[in-house]
Amino acid sequence: MTTEKKADKKPEYIKVEIAKPRAYRWSTGKYLGKLYKEAMEKKRLVTNRCPKCKQLLWPPSAVCGRCNVEAGEDWVEMNDKGTVIQYTYLVFPLWDPHYGDRLANPYPTATIKLDEGVFLVHFLEEKDPEKLKKVKRVQAVWKEEGRGRGLADILYFRTIDE
Amino acid sequence: MAELMADRVEKLKDADVFVYHGKIFIPNTYTAGAVGSRFLIELRDHKKIMGTRCPTCDKVYVPARSICKYCFAQLDQWEEVSDKGTLLTYTVAGQSNGVQPVAPPIIYGIIQLDGASTGLVHMLSEVDFEKLVIGMRVKAVFREKRVGSILDIKYFKPLA
Repeated sequence: MTTEKKADKKPEYIKVEIAKPRAYRWSTGKYLGKLYKEAMEKKRLVTNRCPKCKQLLWPPSAVCGRCNVEAGEDWVEMNDKGTVIQYTYLVFPLWDPHYGDRLANPYPTATIKLDEGVFLVHFLEEKDPEKLKKVKRVQAVWKEEGRGRGLADILYFRTIDE
Repeated sequence: MAELMADRVEKLKDADVFVYHGKIFIPNTYTAGAVGSRFLIELRDHKKIMGTRCPTCDKVYVPARSICKYCFAQLDQWEEVSDKGTLLTYTVAGQSNGVQPVAPPIIYGIIQLDGASTGLVHMLSEVDFEKLVIGMRVKAVFREKRVGSILDIKYFKPLA
């Protein structure tokens, strides 16, 4: 290592790299835990219903925000099909902050209204900006491996003909 | 309120607890800068611990810094300091957090090297916890294979 030689040409700068992941565990709680567990084990979306106003709560929660009553255990299994309400076409390199995975780029993101009336934001499979304009009905495509991360267990929503 | 809480706890007892396993990973690289790079290069190539002197305040900063933190003067007087020093304070970390350089338990210490005015944060080893005492004399142990990192100093060990 000849630093003197290098110093004649160009000063050497040391790079400091931080590349270690930080693992953490988070208890989801009872209600969100049910959703996560159903998604992980049975690849399905569930949520609970308010006993007073009979509306679906999303995400599943202990108390209904509209009626201020305890929501209880009236669980409903939801269809994983829905309608695209709006979408945006993002072209930007990003990491998933919760897991450190590189997100796909570009990744069209949409607000999807499930058949039960619940809104959720997720990715679309369709990556062609022109074809995206015509996407209406979509269905969830579940991950085959590494589930256990709630809605991230859904890879993306695939266009279906209906 | 207490009954309500007790009721909740009773209900939650049988509940399935779901634990989300997350992993925050944000890789990033930054430069040590002109002064920091020189400090690390001296450490890597010559096993020298360098500091910068402020003549006005009569202080030697280790690790080297470019600006005096008291009078804001630009510092360009480089000085080599000894690899021996005095332990100013220490703590023992028994728990791992995944980003520590070595496995716990780790003794972290602030060491004032001979010739320096400031303390250097580093690790101590080859010492029993019971024998740790503030003011003890320590000596740097360098790595065989150095890469230009503060960890090129493996740890500090007690003198004699």
